[in-house]
Amino acid sequence: MNRIHTFTAKTKMAEIITDYSLLTIIDRLNIKLGFGEASIDEICRRHNLSTDLFLMICRVYAIDGFSPEIGNLTNSDIPKLIGYLQRTHKYWIESFFPNLHTNIHTMLESCDERSAKILNKFYDDYDEEVQKHLDYEENTVFPYITSLVSGDKNDRFRIKDFEKNHSNIEEKLHDLKNIVIKYLPESASQQSRINVLNEIFKIENDLNKHSVIENKILIPLVSKYE
Amino acid sequence: MSGKIKITIIEPSEIVSTGLKRIIESYGSFSVAKTFCTIQEYCEMPNGNPDIIIINPMLVIDNGCSEPKSLLQTNDSTAVVAINYGPYDEDAFRDYDGYISIFNTREQIEKRLSTALKNTSDKETDDNSNELSVREREILTAVAKGKTNKEIADEFNLSIHTVISHRKNISHKLGINSIAGLTIYAVMNKLLDVDDF
Repeated sequence: MNRIHTFTAKTKMAEIITDYSLLTIIDRLNIKLGFGEASIDEICRRHNLSTDLFLMICRVYAIDGFSPEIGNLTNSDIPKLIGYLQRTHKYWIESFFPNLHTNIHTMLESCDERSAKILNKFYDDYDEEVQKHLDYEENTVFPYITSLVSGDKNDRFRIKDFEKNHSNIEEKLHDLKNIVIKYLPESASQQSRINVLNEIFKIENDLNKHSVIENKILIPLVSKYE
Repeated sequence: MSGKIKITIIEPSEIVSTGLKRIIESYGSFSVAKTFCTIQEYCEMPNGNPDIIIINPMLVIDNGCSEPKSLLQTNDSTAVVAINYGPYDEDAFRDYDGYISIFNTREQIEKRLSTALKNTSDKETDDNSNELSVREREILTAVAKGKTNKEIADEFNLSIHTVISHRKNISHKLGINSIAGLTIYAVMNKLLDVDDF
């Protein structure tokens, strides 16, 4: 049973690390392990991170359907939040997607030519889409927000534009998962299919929660300061 | 994925929709994903197939339509429930999967929502609708070839509403939403030749 509902600033930091995703959050926020008996509040203060923001991100990950409200957050939380999102992107780009690509490639080697050809194209297109999605955030959205926080008003872009253009990169991955489970011919190697599915299961939740953080925390917080 | 039952509310009164959302979320097993004031707003937003749509029936009538399901373009697995303000005639909600009244208690509302959901999922299993119908295969092939809803409607002599509703059902059955994914299905099942794209 996840006790995160009852966690407060006074809870020991060590108690919050109950699963893989919460461990990932700590790492993405650059919080080093070895908390001893320190409370969440103490560790956050040491890292110059607001406890409210930290608990909010943990709750998004730990509680399905949790809808965060930005309440006490201020613009001083924005740089930390951007840093968190950027480290997530970095992990996807440098580690997750290359891994998935290798696994898909291995799986397709055992497939008939027809399936291999179309799935290869599907994945290449998807890869390009993800790259575009992340490039847009890294090169347009985040720099805009960073300059806004440092007091630079820019009329050419508004966070609303991001909200409108925020495409969904989960959909095709979800489709790919079902294709591998349901429709890829039996001749494709079972182990390589399982490897691909394991990778997708690992990232699905991360992608979903990441969009919640962008849509429900980042966008409202930034629009408050525009 | 969230294990909660996802609900969308389409209701012009903020007092009613906020109150309803609060009551529904107090049950724990339901979550209100989105609220809209009008059907137009709802149709403009991608809404990720809610399990239940609660809608004010006056909105359906104002749209000059008596069939809430075709108006909302829902797939078979979404239950559409009316929220009623006044005295009512049960017959008025024949085209809905259930109805609640603003005078219902918390418990009654929960019970009616659960019943509507159960009826809908029973109906779906009864249909034994997991295989694509001939018409659905035709439409899927056209979608995979890159045709627009309008072109498909003209080709098969259907309304655009019907085409959209077929597409929702296809995606629901296959678990594939993107056109690229549907194309893969079409090629793998030889509805389309691999050189066609």
